[in-house]
Amino acid sequence: MISFELSQQQKQIQQMTHWFAKNEIRPIAMEADRLERVPDDWLDKVNKMGVHLNTSSFGGGGGKNKSSKKKESKEKEGNRMGVLATEEMAWGCPAVALSLPGAGLGGPPVQSSGTPEQKERFLSIFTKDEPRWGAYALTEPEAGSDASGVRTSAEKVDGGYVLNGQKIFITNGGRASWVVVFATVDPSLGRAGQRAFVVEKGTPGFSCSRLAHKMGLRANETAELLLEDCFIPYENLLGGEELYEQNSNSTSPSGFQVAMKTFDSTRPIVAAMAVGIARAAYEYTVDIVQKEYPKQGRYFSLAAQTLAEAEQDIDAARLLTWEAAWKADVGKENAKEAAMCKAYAGQMAHDVTVKCLELLGPVGLDGHIVEKLFRDVKVFDIFEGTNEVQHLVTARRQYQPYGIRV
Amino acid sequence: MGERISDSIELMVIYTKLKKEECPLISFSPTEDESAFVDVAQGFAKDVIRPMARDCENNRAVDAEIIAKAEEIGVASLEFPEHWDGLELPLISQAQMFQALSYGDLAVVQGLPGAGDAASIIRLDPESPVFDAYKKAGQRGVWPNVAFIDAFNKEEPWAEEMQINKNGNGYTLNGVSHPVRLGAEAEYVAVAAVDTDDEPVVLWLQNPPGGERWSVKAGDYRLGLLSAGLAKLQFDDAGIQADEVLAQGDEARELITQGQTRIRVLQAAKAVGLMEAALEYATEYTAERKAFGKVIAQFQGVSFKIAKMAIETRIVNHLVWDAATKVDAGKKDAVEASLRALYRAHRSSLFVTDAAVQMLGGHGFVDEFPVEKWARDAQAQAGLYGRGHDLITRRGERIVNEATGAKRGVLQ
Ligand SMILES: Cc1cc2nc3c(=O)[nH]c(=O)nc-3n(C[C@H](O)[C@H](O)[C@H](O)COP(=O)(O)OP(=O)(O)OC[C@H]3O[C@@H](n4cnc5c(N)ncnc54)[C@H](O)[C@@H]3O)c2cc1C
Repeated sequence: MISFELSQQQKQIQQMTHWFAKNEIRPIAMEADRLERVPDDWLDKVNKMGVHLNTSSFGGGGGKNKSSKKKESKEKEGNRMGVLATEEMAWGCPAVALSLPGAGLGGPPVQSSGTPEQKERFLSIFTKDEPRWGAYALTEPEAGSDASGVRTSAEKVDGGYVLNGQKIFITNGGRASWVVVFATVDPSLGRAGQRAFVVEKGTPGFSCSRLAHKMGLRANETAELLLEDCFIPYENLLGGEELYEQNSNSTSPSGFQVAMKTFDSTRPIVAAMAVGIARAAYEYTVDIVQKEYPKQGRYFSLAAQTLAEAEQDIDAARLLTWEAAWKADVGKENAKEAAMCKAYAGQMAHDVTVKCLELLGPVGLDGHIVEKLFRDVKVFDIFEGTNEVQHLVTARRQYQPYGIRV
Repeated sequence: MGERISDSIELMVIYTKLKKEECPLISFSPTEDESAFVDVAQGFAKDVIRPMARDCENNRAVDAEIIAKAEEIGVASLEFPEHWDGLELPLISQAQMFQALSYGDLAVVQGLPGAGDAASIIRLDPESPVFDAYKKAGQRGVWPNVAFIDAFNKEEPWAEEMQINKNGNGYTLNGVSHPVRLGAEAEYVAVAAVDTDDEPVVLWLQNPPGGERWSVKAGDYRLGLLSAGLAKLQFDDAGIQADEVLAQGDEARELITQGQTRIRVLQAAKAVGLMEAALEYATEYTAERKAFGKVIAQFQGVSFKIAKMAIETRIVNHLVWDAATKVDAGKKDAVEASLRALYRAHRSSLFVTDAAVQMLGGHGFVDEFPVEKWARDAQAQAGLYGRGHDLITRRGERIVNEATGAKRGVLQ
């Protein structure tokens, strides 16, 4: 049945995360932005509260769930829970939300492609007393949108692989206990040559060489990682050697597919964050307009129209996001919807913060959260696949029935 | 349920099930029965409505074969209550059906005979004796056409052109309406307006055969929805008896508000069908058309536009479904949800149909292909059902005036 009502449990998740965002995240947001880091004692505190950014525990991945016999097993809800919760967290502050302890974007590939032993080994650490992070490292100086261009090399040696290369823009990359690193056994094989490794902190030759200073999302760490003759044992090859051997024919899922599949579950999460940011800017601006604008006249009409448009755009993005998450939960292919919601939400959130700043005028420049949200939100139209790439994926899926690849 | 509604037992079974409720959880799955019906409607849309749409446009009327099939499916009685032998479907089911039908052709769907937009008024107050004659006429097998004149918003310049004066227990009607669909062949007229004393009123008039209660003003319609029977209706001292007054005062205001809400959702749903048609057509065309040695879909200027069309179409779909489920559940913000659904439906259907013309290049502009028609229909539809900026500003005024505006709907 078509329904946009939340179940009791969904409502609870939403309310709890909103409470947390309002009372724990918001109060430190502006300061964390200025400091370009989230305070350690705050991280300790929230870790003890058990708050994590574990996208994988939300059910991770648009893979099949075998409950085609319906009703027998309870419908999965993890992806829907995930988008509901992250919208609220990002409403508090996206940079702080992304810095929350947890597997983060590293979770979904481990969840979807790891062996049972790997899942246990790498995901269980997030329940410990100390805050811990996971990370996802695909991007390189010469390979961003074009992920097939990964140059980090993986040379097979006795007992494992030796990795060499450079990864840039890695969220929580410096503090992560482990990072899922994509590398290639042979660049001439293109996608088929790619492998995904879990590289643990402290591995000899693995280092964080630099943290980026950014326009926004400043409180969140964006790291450059170096891999210099890093030995990685077989046990850390994601999915195990068999995954790649079985699939050494042309239709094989390679490390590249692992990377791409991850996006189907992370893009709705990122879109939900964009929705949360836009909503934060919108709600702040509505408050100001209600308090400070004259109740009639040209500015009133302008504000009414602008805010109604913004509100509609936000809800439109949310519904697209929910659809992508719902599809993942019920085991339907969701690559197109994941791309659509990310494309729309990223752009929408930028446009909404721009409109809000325009309404606020010079007032919006000084110490108000909307200007920070404007700086934060831009990257949501860039990472996890740029706006252009999302349109590419959407178009590709749209043309799929006609047998052409665009 | 009489034979005239449907020969198909199967459809009736579907209709009965469509009213069942289930527990809430975010879901975009139509029920199995809704899907089954949509399949029927879609087949009809594609195989019958679409191929005949041009002829209907040229003849300025919907073809009899289409009308017969629509009657069989029961399209005219989806909104009617059960004791009218109607199907009394939730709005969410109706939205999906009209969406599926309009995928065939919007102008044809707008020209299907019956109560048209007035069906929603009937749904809200079915017991009124005002409807006795109409209800009886329907029992002959076919529902007569009703033109719905919505002149309720006094600020609209055309509302001024209708003068409604109190006259004893009835009214006297003067002036000319704005163009309405089903106007040309209407046997009944429903009027939602404000009288000269500023009191809301809903009237229901019949024109008996040979009667002269109103005249149809010939028009020069070329833009779109040309099979929808567009016409202005002229009233010259038309006397309205007390038994033709459906509601007055607050009761009328409430009836009109709720009626408009349902109508907006249904109209927006039709726009979604139109958008789906235009999107699919443009996708298919650009997947085959070659230029500079490859199919044009492989140019990003083309494929990205197609992606944007797909996104906009899906957005309107969701906003319409959101509004429909809110109306069905009697939510407080159902009115607002309908305002924005229709606003977005207008804005996006203009974008999508215009883009479809663009994607076909010169071929898009000529009438051997349906896209130029769809662009005209979309524009006419937006003209008929409200100015975009008016709808969104009205919603915005509520946001800014009511302290609850910003948070409502977000945290449930
Ligand atoms: C704050 C931040 C955090 C990040 N976190 C991570 C992380 O945790 N892990 C990770 O692996 N990466 C991360 N990234 C990297 C991010 O995913 C990439 O920056 C992004 O994928 C774009 O790649 P690029 O920067 O190389 O740009 P390019 O790929 O060089 O793109 C430049 C421009 O060209 C356009 N373009 C490229 N290809 C096409 C095409 N085929 N058609 C049309 N246009 C095209 C792009 O859309 C863009 O506008 C992060 C980036 C930032 C800024």
